[in-house]
Amino acid sequence: MRQEQFVARYQREWQAFEHWLETRGDARRALAERNGGELGDEDIPARYRRLCQQLALARRRGYSPVVTARLQALMQRGHHLLYRTPPPRWRRAAEFLLADFPRLVRSEAACMWAAAALFVAPLVSMFVLLQFFPELIHGLMSPQEIAALEKMYDPASGRHELGRESGTDWGMFGYYIMNNISIGLRTFASGLLAGIGTILVLILNGVSIGATFGHLQQIGYGDPLWRFVAGHAPFELTAIVLAGGAGLRLGYNLVAPGRRTRLDALVAGGIKGARLCLGIAFMLLVAAFIEAFWSSTQSIPASIKFSVSGVLWTLVLLWLWRGGRHRRGDADAP
Amino acid sequence: MLDTYREVVTPEGVSLHLPAAGPVPRALAWAIDLAIRLAILMLLGSVLALLGAAGQGLYLILLFLVFWAYPILFEALWNGQTPGKKALSLRVVNGNGAPVGWLPAITRNLLRTVDMLPFGYALGLLACLADPHGRRLGDMVAGTLVLHEISERQTRAAPINAVLAPSLVLRPAEQRAVVAFGERAPLLSGARQEELADLAAPLTGARGQAGVLRLFGMANWLLGRR
Repeated sequence: MRQEQFVARYQREWQAFEHWLETRGDARRALAERNGGELGDEDIPARYRRLCQQLALARRRGYSPVVTARLQALMQRGHHLLYRTPPPRWRRAAEFLLADFPRLVRSEAACMWAAAALFVAPLVSMFVLLQFFPELIHGLMSPQEIAALEKMYDPASGRHELGRESGTDWGMFGYYIMNNISIGLRTFASGLLAGIGTILVLILNGVSIGATFGHLQQIGYGDPLWRFVAGHAPFELTAIVLAGGAGLRLGYNLVAPGRRTRLDALVAGGIKGARLCLGIAFMLLVAAFIEAFWSSTQSIPASIKFSVSGVLWTLVLLWLWRGGRHRRGDADAP
Repeated sequence: MLDTYREVVTPEGVSLHLPAAGPVPRALAWAIDLAIRLAILMLLGSVLALLGAAGQGLYLILLFLVFWAYPILFEALWNGQTPGKKALSLRVVNGNGAPVGWLPAITRNLLRTVDMLPFGYALGLLACLADPHGRRLGDMVAGTLVLHEISERQTRAAPINAVLAPSLVLRPAEQRAVVAFGERAPLLSGARQEELADLAAPLTGARGQAGVLRLFGMANWLLGRR
């Protein structure tokens, strides 16, 4: 069939489809108005398939761009409408946090344990070293930083808050959100550098936190320090380890993709890591909230703070260990 | 037609033509987005400065939101376009041509922190240049593409003239060339039409204006105009 006959035969269909796209294409408008055109909404999938068939014919027969470009444009608009993103459901978000996220974490258990080792080992060793060799702190921090640190946790000062120099609760909340979540996401994202970035970030963070804790403990400021840290540590430290684990997974997928191409492995690791980052961002949000509004108060006695901290640690570890196990037939399948 | 696009086969069996965008328009779109974000932050900062310390906390939260959530929300809710991308007619889609969902939008924007290393999006630029479809690292991991919005090219039908059957049997590519002449020649000047028609002199058996008219006639015949 020649091009002109082809166009003459199907012209009306294409015009009807284009009219539908223009009048019913916007979801909000389509909900509000009635469909007055000649094509009903329920006819569109069949019409779209017919349009695709006609496009394939036009290409096969080598028709000119007058026809093929027009059909291609119509087809792409139809495709875009028919394969639209479904709207988010908030119940799904709750299910993700409570069940899917712990299952994701458990499915990457090896990476998570490795990240935990990379974080905790430097932390503990730095802490212990500083008890016996206190002068090591000067190799890690400048005197001004040490002075500022000691000022924040000085038990003898008459200040109201622990662990911060100034700033209201809301002010520090905003600062902690910006700071902590950025660090957590960077820990994950630096896994793209074959995992080396994540390893470095974990070790450096472990060293610096261990140095801070060790120095303050060694000079006798341990009580304010533990009272400050106890509240948000369950969420923040765990989130850093999880972010490190996700980054390690990403780096590992790049270095040793197994039987997939490197790009495929990277994409799979990235998608998994992005889902983990959602949960990690939530954890860091909670940690920032606790850090800003609970950790700094001097008026709450140490026993209450430590017992709350113990409860939170138990909850976090239980959540990661047992969350999502209620599904039948699988223990911790990913 | 020579063009750079990525072909993705849809479930209906036809291919989507996705013209991937390179680093330059994307960089410009990013610059426009940055300007918009700075403007928003300056506006909010001056408003919140009036509220004192509580305002400062709110400002930091908004800084975080504007920095991270602005591109994610726009790309997921506004059909893959941020204001900067819209200004340059770019759009983010899934690698298979489907509209971008929440998770790919979040992934590709989270990984900006890596693309920004060591400074000024250097890694992202390298990845864009190396990849045949202009994807940066965030795009590769999230499985997304940034496309140009194709505007339908102005194609006009050949002017209706006499119909003339070609004297030789033409191969499909040659038929397409004659039809393309018939459709695009009216947009060219007369001298250029004659110059092109002279190339087909063995087919038309004439030169100059007569050759142009005979070639138009053959284009009409091939299109099926009677």
